[in-house]
Amino acid sequence: MSILEIRDLAAGYGEVQILWGPSLSLEEKKLTCLVGGNGVGKTTLLRTVMGLVRPWKGSIRFDGKDISGTPAYTKADLGLVLVPEGRQLFTEMTVEENLEMGATNRRARPNIKKNLERVYTMFPRLKERRWQKAGTLSGGEQQMLAVGRGIMAEPIVLMIDELSLGLAPVLTLQLFQSLRQLRQEGLTILLVEQNVQMALAISDYGYVLAEGRVEMEGPARELAHNPHIRAAYLGL
Amino acid sequence: MSPGTIASSIADGLLIGIVYGIAAMGLSLIWGVMSVINLTHGALISLGMFGVYLLFTTFGLNPYLALIVVAFFGLLLGVLIYLIAIARVIDAPHLSSLLATFSVNMIIIGLGTAIFTTTPRDTGFSLGSVQIGPVTLQGTRLVAMVVTLIVAGALYAFLYRTRTGKYIRAVANNRAAAELMGIPSTAILALSFGIGTMLAAIAGGLISTFFSFTILSGGIYELKSFIIVVLGGLGNPLGALVGGLILGVLEGVLPLTMPNTWVPVIEFLLFVFILLVRPSGLLGGK
Repeated sequence: MSILEIRDLAAGYGEVQILWGPSLSLEEKKLTCLVGGNGVGKTTLLRTVMGLVRPWKGSIRFDGKDISGTPAYTKADLGLVLVPEGRQLFTEMTVEENLEMGATNRRARPNIKKNLERVYTMFPRLKERRWQKAGTLSGGEQQMLAVGRGIMAEPIVLMIDELSLGLAPVLTLQLFQSLRQLRQEGLTILLVEQNVQMALAISDYGYVLAEGRVEMEGPARELAHNPHIRAAYLGL
Repeated sequence: MSPGTIASSIADGLLIGIVYGIAAMGLSLIWGVMSVINLTHGALISLGMFGVYLLFTTFGLNPYLALIVVAFFGLLLGVLIYLIAIARVIDAPHLSSLLATFSVNMIIIGLGTAIFTTTPRDTGFSLGSVQIGPVTLQGTRLVAMVVTLIVAGALYAFLYRTRTGKYIRAVANNRAAAELMGIPSTAILALSFGIGTMLAAIAGGLISTFFSFTILSGGIYELKSFIIVVLGGLGNPLGALVGGLILGVLEGVLPLTMPNTWVPVIEFLLFVFILLVRPSGLLGGK
């Protein structure tokens, strides 16, 4: 069953149209990835779904309800959570305060203790640094915190924008493994990545975005073997 | 000049300075959370003065009980000002919010002048005084200091220990991310502006218990607040309290060595000097 349904979405900034009608459908409890080059509209798509950018046309349905045009702060209550590009942490607040802020929405607030333990088990480094200001963490730790903060929100759908950006390969691998673990625990995930090879390797289904449109979609395994994708994105 | 005179001047300066500090704290908080330079600040200090004065002289309400009423209405008024005048320009360039707060300031000052005229008022309230060695301390100023410390402590506990306080810090730090977490940022900004306004009103109310004033008096304290905020670091509320103490002591001690009219000259020279050598403020981090 599909939990998030995006149909013919058009959006942009000012006069500039970025999204030219992509349609995506997220299967429940599956890891879906959205890949594509720089500036094809991946981040804009996520920002539009969250309500940070107003859609011009098209529909966004979450769990059957149309949510296009509703403000961003109402999304967390629904269970739609974004780990934004560039992490967007509360750098002046401590690690634990950041996690606490993640659990702002109504569903997550009563389970804050349980979820803190869950995040600290998944990323023990964060527990060691729980009283440190988020701005003083290394890049990898910051990305762990950003993902951890997303988990604190008890998402039904977790969307992650550029998980691997600027991270060392070993850290990237570790974070991708945590995603697999979350997927096995039954979370629906939409992963936006520039690292096409790794994203396709761990995903169930994939979309390729080009110039604001869905260029190709299919089971991730098939996409990984598609000659066009191999030539255009994997350099093979 | 006897050591006793100097001690008195320093003590007076500290007691008044801490009240300046709480006024500046409001200005600093608003800047720190939403990057708005609040030019309504002085008018709100004046309204705080009139609030305590009117409740005391018309209803005979104790000025410190009146202060609680004034604080409450200050909070409410601040939230209203934010929602009506500032919310719509909050994402526009700084000049827009500057002009918006300036307009609200002119409205309050205009109405205030029409209703209250500019005849000086005086609550005529006294709590006697305490003598410590050569130093005489007015009761009202001592209580003002205690109230200020309580308010500052409560503000810190609120910002660092309560959920809503943490929301304010989160919105100040990264508004878009706060929205993503489900924090309604417009409501939080309105509340922050309300708290900043409340601090201005409390400062005004306290000052009215020992100085005479008019509707225009707040402007002087607004200017002092700017100096203090630059001393303490813009956006750093605790720095504002320290900056207030520094300014208070200067105002206490400088008149011993020069005519009173020179005091603002020295203060603003200091202001310009700090802006030149340490634009982030003496205690400013960034």
